[in-house]
Amino acid sequence: MKNFIFGVFVLLFFQGHLHAQDIKGKVLDENGLPLPGVNILGSTSSSVSDFDGNFSINAKVDEPLTFTFLGYVTLTINAAENMSVSMKMASTDLTEVVVVGYGTQKRTDLTSAISTIKSDQITKQPAFNALQSLQGKAAGVNIIANDAPGATPTIIIRGLGTAESGRTPMYVVDGVVTGSIANLNPNDIESFDIMKDAASAAIYGSNAANGVVFITTKKGKLGKTTIKINSFYGAKSILNPVKMANSSQFVTYFNESRAAIGNPDRLSLNQPYNTDWYDALTGTSFSQGNDISMSGGSENVTYYFSYNNYEEDGLLEGHKVARNVLRSNNTFKAFDGKLKITQNVSVAFTKSTPKPYSSFTEAYKQAPIIPVYYPDGRYGMSFWNKTTGLPDYVIGPGQVGGRLNSIGNPVANVNYQNEKNKTMEIQGLLQADYTFTDWLTATTRFGATKSNSKTRIFNDIRARYLTADPTRTLLGFQNAQNAAPTSTEFANNSLSYKDVESFRYNWDTYLTASKSFGKHNFNLTAGVTKERRNDVYESFMEGYGVPEQENYWNLDMASLNYTKVVKQYYYTPVNVLSYFGRLQYNFDEKYYISGTVRRDGNSTFKKNADYWGTFPSVSVGWVLTNESFLSDIKNLDFLKLRAGYGEVGNANVRYNTTTIITNAGSANTNYVFGPNQDLVFGGAVGSPAADLSWELTKEINLGADFEFLNRRLSGSFDYYNRLNTNAILNVKPIPNSPASENYFDHGGEVRNKGYEIALNWRDNITEDFSYSIGVNYAHNKNTLENVKPAYDGLTGGSLGDGQLTKRLQEGQPLYSWWLLEADGVWQTQAEIDANPHIGTPQPGQLRYKDQNGDGVIDDRDKKYFGSYIPKFSYGINVSLAYKNFDLSVDGFGAGGNKVYNGLKGTRVDAGENIAAETFNNRWTGPGTSNTNPGANRDALSSSYYLEDGDYFRINNITLGYTFKDMFNLSRLRIYGTAQNPFLFTKYSGFTPELNNSGIPNETAGIELAAYPNIKTFIFGVNIEF
Amino acid sequence: MKINYKKIVCLSFALSVLVGCDDFLDVDSRERVTEEDSGENLEPIAFVNGIYGMMTEWDYAFSYLGITEIISDNADKGSSPGDPGGDKGLLDGLTFTSTAGSVEAMWTNWYKAIGRATYSISYTENFGLTDTAYKNRLIGEAKFLRAYHYFFLVRAFGDVPLQHVNLTVRVPKEEVYDFIEQDLLDAIQVLPKKSEYGSADLGRATKGAAQALLAKVYLYQKDWQNAFNYAELVLTSGEYSLEPNYAEIWRVNTENGRESIFEVQARGESIAHGVQQYSETQGARGPSGWGWGFNTPSQNLLDAYNAEGDVIRRDATIIFRGETMYDGRIVSTAVENPMYNEKAYSSANAGAGDGDKNIRVLRLGEIYLIHAEAANELGNSDKALASLKEVRDRVNLGEITTTDQNLLRTLIWKERRLELAFEHDRWFDLVRTGQAAQAMQANGKPFEVGKHELFPIPNGQLIQTPGMGQNPNW
Repeated sequence: MKNFIFGVFVLLFFQGHLHAQDIKGKVLDENGLPLPGVNILGSTSSSVSDFDGNFSINAKVDEPLTFTFLGYVTLTINAAENMSVSMKMASTDLTEVVVVGYGTQKRTDLTSAISTIKSDQITKQPAFNALQSLQGKAAGVNIIANDAPGATPTIIIRGLGTAESGRTPMYVVDGVVTGSIANLNPNDIESFDIMKDAASAAIYGSNAANGVVFITTKKGKLGKTTIKINSFYGAKSILNPVKMANSSQFVTYFNESRAAIGNPDRLSLNQPYNTDWYDALTGTSFSQGNDISMSGGSENVTYYFSYNNYEEDGLLEGHKVARNVLRSNNTFKAFDGKLKITQNVSVAFTKSTPKPYSSFTEAYKQAPIIPVYYPDGRYGMSFWNKTTGLPDYVIGPGQVGGRLNSIGNPVANVNYQNEKNKTMEIQGLLQADYTFTDWLTATTRFGATKSNSKTRIFNDIRARYLTADPTRTLLGFQNAQNAAPTSTEFANNSLSYKDVESFRYNWDTYLTASKSFGKHNFNLTAGVTKERRNDVYESFMEGYGVPEQENYWNLDMASLNYTKVVKQYYYTPVNVLSYFGRLQYNFDEKYYISGTVRRDGNSTFKKNADYWGTFPSVSVGWVLTNESFLSDIKNLDFLKLRAGYGEVGNANVRYNTTTIITNAGSANTNYVFGPNQDLVFGGAVGSPAADLSWELTKEINLGADFEFLNRRLSGSFDYYNRLNTNAILNVKPIPNSPASENYFDHGGEVRNKGYEIALNWRDNITEDFSYSIGVNYAHNKNTLENVKPAYDGLTGGSLGDGQLTKRLQEGQPLYSWWLLEADGVWQTQAEIDANPHIGTPQPGQLRYKDQNGDGVIDDRDKKYFGSYIPKFSYGINVSLAYKNFDLSVDGFGAGGNKVYNGLKGTRVDAGENIAAETFNNRWTGPGTSNTNPGANRDALSSSYYLEDGDYFRINNITLGYTFKDMFNLSRLRIYGTAQNPFLFTKYSGFTPELNNSGIPNETAGIELAAYPNIKTFIFGVNIEF
Repeated sequence: MKINYKKIVCLSFALSVLVGCDDFLDVDSRERVTEEDSGENLEPIAFVNGIYGMMTEWDYAFSYLGITEIISDNADKGSSPGDPGGDKGLLDGLTFTSTAGSVEAMWTNWYKAIGRATYSISYTENFGLTDTAYKNRLIGEAKFLRAYHYFFLVRAFGDVPLQHVNLTVRVPKEEVYDFIEQDLLDAIQVLPKKSEYGSADLGRATKGAAQALLAKVYLYQKDWQNAFNYAELVLTSGEYSLEPNYAEIWRVNTENGRESIFEVQARGESIAHGVQQYSETQGARGPSGWGWGFNTPSQNLLDAYNAEGDVIRRDATIIFRGETMYDGRIVSTAVENPMYNEKAYSSANAGAGDGDKNIRVLRLGEIYLIHAEAANELGNSDKALASLKEVRDRVNLGEITTTDQNLLRTLIWKERRLELAFEHDRWFDLVRTGQAAQAMQANGKPFEVGKHELFPIPNGQLIQTPGMGQNPNW
């Protein structure tokens, strides 16, 4: 009533002021500095603060104005003449907006597990692929880095949930569904939102089992044009090289080994060469990035335009990746802001010249007594003169020659690799939002990605032939060529081109209704989406004997003596049609409930009964601090409990081959007949094709979000238990059945359970000095359960020499290590004779445990040794700001897993080099070592080569200085960054981050041709005006 | 105006919902030919070709070497001491177990070939071919190949399951032999003679091949009369005669030649299609070498040739380090091993993945020796000596005249060794003739009587069908 009377007075006395007028004012931050770009919303109009924080808006005095700005607490103040508004930084993440799929939500309203990482965290570490910069930033999001230029890191969210199906999460870039984000410029990214639990991801149904990663790119903000320039330059080198044996150590080792097997050959103790192959192979290389963006906007139009150039060299000579990305993100409003059109387009051009990583293995194994080049300039090869014991290939009369090993010259192989890749990827989005009323909006959007790539490989067969054996001559090659004029083995060279074109799109249309009735708040989203993916065209052409000069590398100029190879095929596209809906309700921002449902139809499974499936989820939340009984507790600012359940699918499954096998090449279905031995094509029955559908994963998530101590300490905790209920396994048919091919069938369950903790502390010590410390930790346990009889047991982890290391077994993590257990070293022949052994070992070789006690050692004595996948991972992020200085230090670690040092282990022939450590610790006679074998080793895979995969690395130390108001620039910052300066690990190889192809039953976790970890020192500058 | 726009938005929204109908999910396969689309294209002969194709499989090279030759006294593992070649070192040392990869690989592949044969037979019978002779021929080829693979299985493992009956129940080896004989008898009825095939079909199973294989099958069962009869049928068929020069039997120029009864066909040109890496795995290893150097002739074999003064067969069977070969290739003195298997040598494709040379499976030389052995057991030493003479004359060895049945028996066995070395016969022959224990123990190999006569049922099979039961003492 008082207010009413006051209002009447106001009406009467200040009538003139009640008419709408231009209210002017200024927005400042906590420090009194102007805040540009703040959105100001009145009841009838809106405005944006300019560069100096000044604004003007058509409003009535005392009309409530809402001030919003990302990262600041939204403020509503009544309008006044020459008002001065001071906005406070949002002290925690809880005020931020989170992308939830077909919509956004306030973090405080969230009832599921979604991690958000903002742009400043991403651009702190320049990288080709922004995922690399996420390492250690989000609990439960395990990123396995790969330091090779242009490499895509592996991302595993909450453990490995599948043995055979797709393992990568789904990426959604501003609504465009895509398979990779290698085409994105990390500087264009505003934020990552990672859906970790099924309750949140279920809105994406059959594609969401590996999690969903949303990427929101930057948009223009209302206000004056902002131009930003970022540049950096970096120098890279190997982080922790393995010290290899030198020539004299190698000779000792070699001679010991020969003596042990009773072979009279010896290397001379006076060797002319002492080659450090890693030195010869690698050097310091460089990377650089230059980025310019321009953004701004007015009431009806915003724009963001950027260009980025990124170049990176590999450690190997000639290994380069260069990417240029153009992006234009615009929004237009029409019809009084009711219609909003969003248009994003990005074009990425990537060029690379890859080099063989196998050279790293060769550099490890090639003997140090072999020269990089012979005095005559030819590449050194592992030939030696057994009579003189020297690495000569010229064998005099009466002398005997030999080869130390079958390893090539790594430097030669790098130089001969001549490959060029070019990729162009266009990604675009067109979206229209139409607001019918204040509570109902319709959205339709079309997003598509088109990519073209071309690979050219030139192989100088003749040069490789001559290099492979220095005794070979050009004349010899020509004679061989004349003798077999159609044999491609003796062609001068080969040239191939491979083209891949792919296209995918998604078209989403949905309605969003949001309305409150008193304390009852409702939000409803419902829609339909169509998606087409895997629409891929691939062609491959190869010819032999083209002219040597690069300008003539046309297949039309290939020699007619050889058959040209042409392969071309289309992939079968996958169409997915889906209906989805989400209902969110909360009462008074205290009690939350959210339910989603998605119905997916997938063309892949059209022939099967189950090609439609429904993926529901439900989650609840309770904000305890909004209850009266908790609202007044000191130091408890926010506490929310969450629980969710959801079902998600993995439709990226392996197919069963059809029952008829045919092949146009040299395959076991074909044969030759007749005097000319013409190839005849045949066929065979493969395996019975079992009906497959997506894998269905069900997950329970329990969590809490909290803020304590005046919002200085914030964090969250999550527990999850997710079960892939019908995991597809690669099944080996019964050996004596007619079925000849492994086939895929639903045959087990994969469980991942664990917990995640994230804590963040931030505080200001003085006006000038603020700091924050973030830590996170995640623990996961992976198990294969309930396997159909005889469906497990598939072996893998081949070392390429006939030795296997992994096996899929019920009760174990997926593809666990499965090895003989090394049990000391045989000291004497008598000891060997008296105990079970494998083959005919000699003293100094490893002894293995007879696990089943049957008196013989064979595969049945192999034991499980856990998984290559880390059980836990953690991150720590510290940042300090003092006056104009900023310092940040980030670390990341993982562990609880085992990795296999395959470099140390495979086919040890003593003619291959060893690490200095292996040399120093070897067995040299009875009693010298009961852990490490002598120079005469067997080549069996065993637990001896398995090591702890634990590591911790400091992946970023950055020190920056910001000049304010210099040279008329609004911001000028210079910084220096040390990327990966330190790695702490007990692992004896190059890097314990060994994901390789990521395929669990292949070399994941095995160091064979791994790219070493790199440290990079970067100097950079950020300019804004 | 406003309302119109609203309508447009509504309409397009509704439209987009409507187009989301089920037709969208009908996507035709573009990568793999579906069964219904492929069935019309594949003639029965394609499936029969597919059985032959099985013999070009990688396992028929490397694993096959392991369990037919490396295991025997004719051959050593070879290669470098540090390269075990999977289980080849264990096979050589006779210390392998039921988890040996080579044993499982061959068990599996023999059964897969049998599966292809059985499928081809029923497919051919039901396809509706109108040319009966052609249809019967295809069935005959499939039956020959099925018998060929079961013959390996029964020799290697004894009692084995008959795939078309039950995968888990092993039937007595006599029943397996009955099944093999029936297949071969059926094949003999319908297969054309070698000379009756059209030129384009050179290399297919012939009546003579079925008869020759049947003679060998009877030999293993000590059914001397039948062995003798079928060997005699082949010898007198007029289809075959001995190559005059032993050294050329395993060269490209005598492929499918006068002595050849059955061979695995191989071609070296692009698309090369030989037995995958058969030559490469056995090629000389090391500098200027062309292969991996496995399956090398043993000193024991060399001694056997030298004791007999058998220079021709020795030099045709063994490549010596440092020698100059018939095609002019100089084998470097730097190669890793002192001897290599010459019968696996592919002159034109040395070092290539697929050799150009056919692998001889059955040839007339062996039929003479089967004939001789059966005749001797039947007390017909005249016939035995005559056949033996044919074989020895070719390699300039003196005539054997003894009529002592026991002595002649061992002489014929010895002849088999020298004539057929590296033709994948030695191990089974040692076991068949009961010489295995003595021969292996003489080489210091731990042969256990009552165990090593049979290979173990592979562990991988027993994991899936545990009720099958292991062979004795494994």
